[in-house]
Amino acid sequence: MKHALTALALIALALPARAEDLTIGFAIAKSGWMEAYDTPAATAAKIRIEEINAAGGLLGRQIKVVESDTRTDRAEAAKAGLDVLDQGAEMMVVSCDYDFGAPAALVAEGEGMNSFFLCAEDVKAGIQGVGPNSFSSSVLAPVQGATMAEWAHAKREARTAFVLEDTFIEYNKGICTGFNWMFPQLEGAEIVGNDTFKNDDASIASQITRIKSLPAEPDVIMLCSVMPGAAAAVRQIRAAGINSLILNGSAVDGSYWLDATPDLSGFVLPVQGSIHGDDPRPEVEAFNKAYEAKTGARPASQYAYPGYVLIDLWAKAVERAGTVEGAAVTAELEKMRDEPTAFGPRSFSNELHHQNTALMQIVEITGGKPARVDEWRISQPVPLDVLMGK
Amino acid sequence: MSLQLVFDALSLGGIYAIAALGIALIFGVMKLVNFAHGQFIACAVFALILPTADAVAVLGLGALPAVLLIPAIIGFGAGLAVLAEALVFRPLRHASPVALMVGSFALGVALQNLLLVLYGGRPKAISLWPDLGQPVQIGAAQVPLLQLIVIGAVALILGALALMLKRSRLGLEMRAAAEDFGMARLLGVRANRVISGAFALSGALAAVVALVLVAQTGVADVRMGGQIMLVAFIATVVGGMGSLPGAVAAGMALGAASALLQAFLPDAARPFRDAFLYALVILVLLFRPQGIFASASAKPRV
Repeated sequence: MKHALTALALIALALPARAEDLTIGFAIAKSGWMEAYDTPAATAAKIRIEEINAAGGLLGRQIKVVESDTRTDRAEAAKAGLDVLDQGAEMMVVSCDYDFGAPAALVAEGEGMNSFFLCAEDVKAGIQGVGPNSFSSSVLAPVQGATMAEWAHAKREARTAFVLEDTFIEYNKGICTGFNWMFPQLEGAEIVGNDTFKNDDASIASQITRIKSLPAEPDVIMLCSVMPGAAAAVRQIRAAGINSLILNGSAVDGSYWLDATPDLSGFVLPVQGSIHGDDPRPEVEAFNKAYEAKTGARPASQYAYPGYVLIDLWAKAVERAGTVEGAAVTAELEKMRDEPTAFGPRSFSNELHHQNTALMQIVEITGGKPARVDEWRISQPVPLDVLMGK
Repeated sequence: MSLQLVFDALSLGGIYAIAALGIALIFGVMKLVNFAHGQFIACAVFALILPTADAVAVLGLGALPAVLLIPAIIGFGAGLAVLAEALVFRPLRHASPVALMVGSFALGVALQNLLLVLYGGRPKAISLWPDLGQPVQIGAAQVPLLQLIVIGAVALILGALALMLKRSRLGLEMRAAAEDFGMARLLGVRANRVISGAFALSGALAAVVALVLVAQTGVADVRMGGQIMLVAFIATVVGGMGSLPGAVAAGMALGAASALLQAFLPDAARPFRDAFLYALVILVLLFRPQGIFASASAKPRV
């Protein structure tokens, strides 16, 4: 026993490896309204980092995390990027949203370093809007819209659709772009009307009047919106007696908003993995448990998952490149074709550092209870010119 | 279709009118544009639920039956506004209007961050009176019950307020203070009483807007109230700074114009609805720079 302790002490002394630690900088919102979105994904990223460290580290080095707060402010985000750089970051993880993450990601790009958005789903959060070493591991918004279109057509015989777009953020536009691209291509399917609203509109009565004045209730309403506007819109649509199947993007995942429309039924969304304990892949539920063990609660939405995936993918690329140097890791990441992860296969190319197709779980809310009902992968990737809004 | 549109326009206009009135009341007595009014609305919304950063909201005050809930929330709004006046605006009473305005911005930011600390940044769902969503058939129109209640409540509040301003002592003092504050004080009007009264009324109106918003949308968000505050402020400017009927009329007009533009603008122009709305505002101000119903005190006395 004594010898064992001495040996342990010796090992501890022999590990002054601080200088050799590999540092990842998190320039994310730790305060302000973005915090609620950044923290779960960052926590998930740290879970993967701990797993890697426990398994011996990356390239034989332990991963160390340094952080700086963007305060949900674009100007502060650039400062946070510089701050984690000063603390020795060799790779940077930035805020979920393109607008709030890009200032820090540009700092990383300036150093030739890799940057990953925690969960951005706008094509700009990558090569197109930051530079060649920037990535996001989440699934592009247009893929979510296209998934909804094809699934509803195949599984729910949706032939007529009304598109209701919230003009608040780019993400919403992306969802509608994907839906508008996919749905009219499908056999016998037609978009019979569309309208827009603003997320903080006090009422969408005029938009609802437009839906109700259609000759027949549409089979589906594609709602491209995020909280809180999405919950408000759903409440008002159902209150007006419209019973069409409502589709949305992943952003409304989680059951925290369901009280807004008691006993809601016929609401469908695509997710990367189910938080409800019914995902057919055991890895997903294992992650949910690990997250609960770390934070005391299960993930509130699927937006924790991309944080886990990004560290997973980046670490694999680093192992293959044998270095953390930005360009070399980028080259390895761009070789990934359907690289398996706990949340489905991921691909990158030298044109796109995002997912233009993905296996998505379909979650349906029935009687106020969300449950995974199906999975779907779109039959063709969303083309780049559609993604770019051309 | 057209009758439906009338109800859509009236209910949205009613919400804006009540919010605009809350701002005009305070501007009338102390020449303060209270930019924290939007946060008063947000605070009244969050008062319905218990403070926790958890994702699922737990009803606090919101669980009370309506007969208790409505006075409680209105009292909360009024109390918050009176407190804000006593702690923030009273010490600033003799500062320049610009300093007052900056003070109100600061108060708004402080309140919003207080909500963030207490409740977290994620929007919360509140199921308040879901039955009010039931549609009611009126002629050719199917109108949600809530819309009818909003329109009725707005009419009631405006009537009661007009009566109070015309008949009660506080109303008389408030009108006198709006006309010429210095002269009113010389004639025995107590400044603190009038100003506190105006803040209490304004806070109560913010609480009414909060209840309507929650019943309509079912969500609470720390950023809510901001958009309504902006529209309400514009309504007070268009209506004529300091004019209460002006604020009501302009709030109503802005809501109606917004609903009509949404209904009749062509597809491609609809995302820019607010740009059209504010272009109309600019047009009005070009012809009536002092607003539609300018109050006597708004004119320079030379």
